[in-house]
Amino acid sequence: MSSRFRASLALLAVATLALAACDREERHSRAKPMGETVPAGTSPDTIWPGGTVPQTLDPRAKLYDNNAPAISQGQSLYSQMNCGGCHSHGGGGMGPALMDDEWRYGGRIDQIATSIAEGRPNGMPSWRSKLTEDQIWQLAAYVRSMSGQPSKDAVNSRADAMSATAPQTLTPRETVQTSDTAEQ
Amino acid sequence: MQRVACAYLVTLLCTAGAALTACHRSEQRQQYGSATVYGTAPAGNHAVAPPAASPADDGNWTMPSKDYAATRFSGLNQINPGNVSKLALSFTFSTATTHGYEAPPLVVNNTMYLITPFPNYLYALDLTKPGAPTKWVFKPKPVAASQGVACCDTVNRGAVYDNGKIFFNTLDGQTIAVDADSGQQVWRTQLGDIQKGETITMAPLVAGGKVLVGNSGGEMGVRGWVAALDEGSGKLAWRAFNTGPDKDVLIGSRFKPFYKSDQGKDLGVKTWPPEAWKIGGGTVWGWLSYDPETKLIYYGVGNPGPWNPDQRPGDNKWTTGVFARDVSTGEAVWFYQTTPHDLFDHDDINEIILADIPWNGQRRPVMFRPARAGFFYVQDRRTGQVLSAAPYGYVNGYRGVDLKTGQIIPNHDKDPKVGRVVRDICPAAPGLKDWNPSAFSPVTGLVYIPHNNLCMDFGAMQANYISGTPYVGADVKMYAGPGGNRGAFTAWDPIHQKKVWEIPEDLPLWSPALVTAGGVVFYGTMDGWFKAVDARTGKQLWQFKAGSGIIGQPISYKGPDGRQYIAFVAGVGGWAGAVVSAKMDTRDPTGALGFVNAVKDLPQKTTAGGMLYVFTLPR
Amino acid sequence: MSIQHYQSIFGNAATEVRQFNTLFVIFLVVCAVMYVAVIAFLIAGIARRRRAAEANTVEEGRHHESDPAMRTGLIAWGAVVGTGLVALAIASFVADRSMANAAAHEKLSITVTGNQWWWDVQYNAADNSKMVRTANELHLPVGVPVRIMLKSNDVIHSFWVPSLAGKQDLIPGRDTDITITPQKVGIYRGQCAEYCGAEHAKMALVVDVDSYPDFIKWWQHQLQTAPKPTTPLALAGYNYVTSRNCSACHAIAGTPASATVGPDLTHLASRRTLAASMPMSEGNLYGWVADPQSIKPGTKMPTIGLEPNELHAVVAYLETLK
Repeated sequence: MSSRFRASLALLAVATLALAACDREERHSRAKPMGETVPAGTSPDTIWPGGTVPQTLDPRAKLYDNNAPAISQGQSLYSQMNCGGCHSHGGGGMGPALMDDEWRYGGRIDQIATSIAEGRPNGMPSWRSKLTEDQIWQLAAYVRSMSGQPSKDAVNSRADAMSATAPQTLTPRETVQTSDTAEQ
Repeated sequence: MQRVACAYLVTLLCTAGAALTACHRSEQRQQYGSATVYGTAPAGNHAVAPPAASPADDGNWTMPSKDYAATRFSGLNQINPGNVSKLALSFTFSTATTHGYEAPPLVVNNTMYLITPFPNYLYALDLTKPGAPTKWVFKPKPVAASQGVACCDTVNRGAVYDNGKIFFNTLDGQTIAVDADSGQQVWRTQLGDIQKGETITMAPLVAGGKVLVGNSGGEMGVRGWVAALDEGSGKLAWRAFNTGPDKDVLIGSRFKPFYKSDQGKDLGVKTWPPEAWKIGGGTVWGWLSYDPETKLIYYGVGNPGPWNPDQRPGDNKWTTGVFARDVSTGEAVWFYQTTPHDLFDHDDINEIILADIPWNGQRRPVMFRPARAGFFYVQDRRTGQVLSAAPYGYVNGYRGVDLKTGQIIPNHDKDPKVGRVVRDICPAAPGLKDWNPSAFSPVTGLVYIPHNNLCMDFGAMQANYISGTPYVGADVKMYAGPGGNRGAFTAWDPIHQKKVWEIPEDLPLWSPALVTAGGVVFYGTMDGWFKAVDARTGKQLWQFKAGSGIIGQPISYKGPDGRQYIAFVAGVGGWAGAVVSAKMDTRDPTGALGFVNAVKDLPQKTTAGGMLYVFTLPR
Repeated sequence: MSIQHYQSIFGNAATEVRQFNTLFVIFLVVCAVMYVAVIAFLIAGIARRRRAAEANTVEEGRHHESDPAMRTGLIAWGAVVGTGLVALAIASFVADRSMANAAAHEKLSITVTGNQWWWDVQYNAADNSKMVRTANELHLPVGVPVRIMLKSNDVIHSFWVPSLAGKQDLIPGRDTDITITPQKVGIYRGQCAEYCGAEHAKMALVVDVDSYPDFIKWWQHQLQTAPKPTTPLALAGYNYVTSRNCSACHAIAGTPASATVGPDLTHLASRRTLAASMPMSEGNLYGWVADPQSIKPGTKMPTIGLEPNELHAVVAYLETLK
């Protein structure tokens, strides 16, 4: 093999890798509005009388779960919509902690999107009438990043505000568990 | 030979070093919990409580502040420094709640009443029977969503007994009157709106035939108010807002503020950007006092919103100040603004202790206020004039109080800046002392102040207003102030404005104080130690480890058998204890508006609970 | 009067531009003279060399004695260059100091905060209750020095109204400022001059220079809260705007909507442009409210997907916000 041929081959390999990474950068700025697609995620893990029905994950999950622009936009929305006022930078407060492994209402992205859209009985407000579906899923993607769920090349490496927790590129991935009690 | 000498030297040095570090550690352990005495209590002519507002103790405890003067002083003297170490547990009771318990038990007619944090159960216990069995429990069933708009744990600061009824507030903004004997509801009035972010956590004050209630929500962009309900019917008699035009603030011809900066027309609008006063805070979530002679109520106003001060240039009247109002009409008589254009969330809602002090050969009616801003204010309660204001701990956010103009002197080095972090601001947002009230002993003339020693980093950012969601605009991290202790219990001479003795504590002190005529001071720590110290010297006489951290008011009452009892409920929480009661993640230091950074170790030191403990001397 | 779309940095609409132009002319003249002189000498040098070559003068490479005429000439040339540079330095210093002087004597203070991709404009007043908040548009009085404090909420932007002043960056976490003293009534266009993201090209602003009485009238009008809707359609729009998505980001004075994330809409319909890029018109308003992402893809305002009746109602209400 000539050196020139080897160089072109190497370039091709690099280009292919780069293209593979492109997926995470796709912006969905023209996402369909709410109501036109399948309803949001199912309620938390529950008992299905008569046997478990296989649950298909909402197709939107893969559009947002590891999507860098979605997580980035979710980060802005998180502080703009005052999520930080109740959940801090994941530590909780008025609302439960989002950076740990306990999820009262489910830690899958579609379950988080449902929590945001519908609200929850102990004080989580319902954002269905205030945010578009696209924005809610972006927020859900960002919430997932607080416990380290998305791949590390999709998350932000810096916070917008006062640096409080470890940068998300270093956040360890928590196991998604249910909360010990559905408490008050 | 050299090698041996070298090894010997190294060993010697290491041992010395280890000894030194051990020395330092044991020094630290000795440091927390033991008093340093700086002086003596004033002899003779000192401050006393005004008799009309502080009647003789009948052995009951009918309101959280004990009396209208807010002395939290028990006239009982069976327990004294000589015998307090013999205190024994008499009975206990589990309230079945695990959020922060800030309320005192009430005792009246040999019945003990307990109001819990959300869901605000009201228990009545029969003290005449052994073990104090439950007579009845009243469950108001407040809306569960109100938990989502309560900034600092879902606490309740107490119920009040008057005229055969118990009055209390629920988290979702209702005031309820319950018959003290039967436990049946007499009336229920909805005052707050959770959709706007309002809750009610304060203990009402019943005075002049009115039930006085104020809202919470200064971090939620609410508009603050105080309301008076008719004691018999629960109907709204008047409501005074703390921001907005004079007619809403009930400012009329009777209003005579002492200082020029508080004088003018419609200042509640003019000192704000347009429309900002409608979401400007100024809530009344703390304490009210009452002078039966002048028929004036006194209360402090909470912080302006949002925390980011750049969004609300101007003095932001009438927030972070003290109002005097007529109890029957609500009209304002005077106002003093402690921190105009508040920068650090220094709500002014702390207790207002009424006292009469010797002043230039006469008796002057004053109020004592250990404020969040860090100064102990002594003010004439007829006019609001500040007679003296001295820091009762370390303060660098302000340079002092100018007694000529009444204005606090800011330290502009500590001004918050949007997009930047300003560091080392003392006192931190909870202030040098937060809501947990001090106690005043007319016997010693001292004010017993359980408080914090915290500083903070403050990063301001633009806040977005959406009703029903937080409206803050700041990232905060708190930590221990100079000395390394996060709390301190100070005995303060209000006339000479100096410390008499002080006990440094490892954790911030979030519990109220109790002082008795017997000369014993009681308070609790956040890791569950209930302590009795000598009122004159601060020497610790006795302590008891409760099942959970203590942030609730201890009381003293006379039982049906004539003995003196000490009672409190242990249940850690509140703003300081939210890391435990709300199961927060300690890896985020900005949690609980910055408090988590200061008490990361609390989950190791205590757990959530809600248990009543009652002590007495053995027969 | 229509917007002067032709932006020229060589105008005379503001003191700062005039000062800049004066400076520019000085530089141009001095440098042109020098340029011409240098070229002349260069040509002369080439020509002389040619003649010398023709005359067969052989350069022996030996060091010539210094020629007094040459020495004088060089010294004179040095003096000319030195004088020219000093003149330029003085001119530059004077221009800079006089612009700073204007900044120190400002009579009006405005805070402009750059966001992706719109301008948040706030008029400061000693009486805080007279502050005014608007977006993408500045109104300035003629002859009055105005100091514009510049902040940014996200990335670096740059404030540039060529007809009135030079550029000044808006840097997050830092406060910068620019002073403008407009001298001619007119409407001028400006834009963001530092790449700030996908829609940097659609981050323009309009500066309306009025006579002082007109400016005060505009300010008084801006202090009015939004009028109550009178028609059923506008009322339906008001209900939608104050209870649905709009109020999560926008503020309209006099209504419950008080959010700060997006532009203040209280007097939206009386502005000259919409979304920092289009002329204000009913059609553009419909298009923008219906689908902002197709006009400015990636903008922070989402495409909500309004039903037709909701769209009519919202636009009807927004048009009442004059």
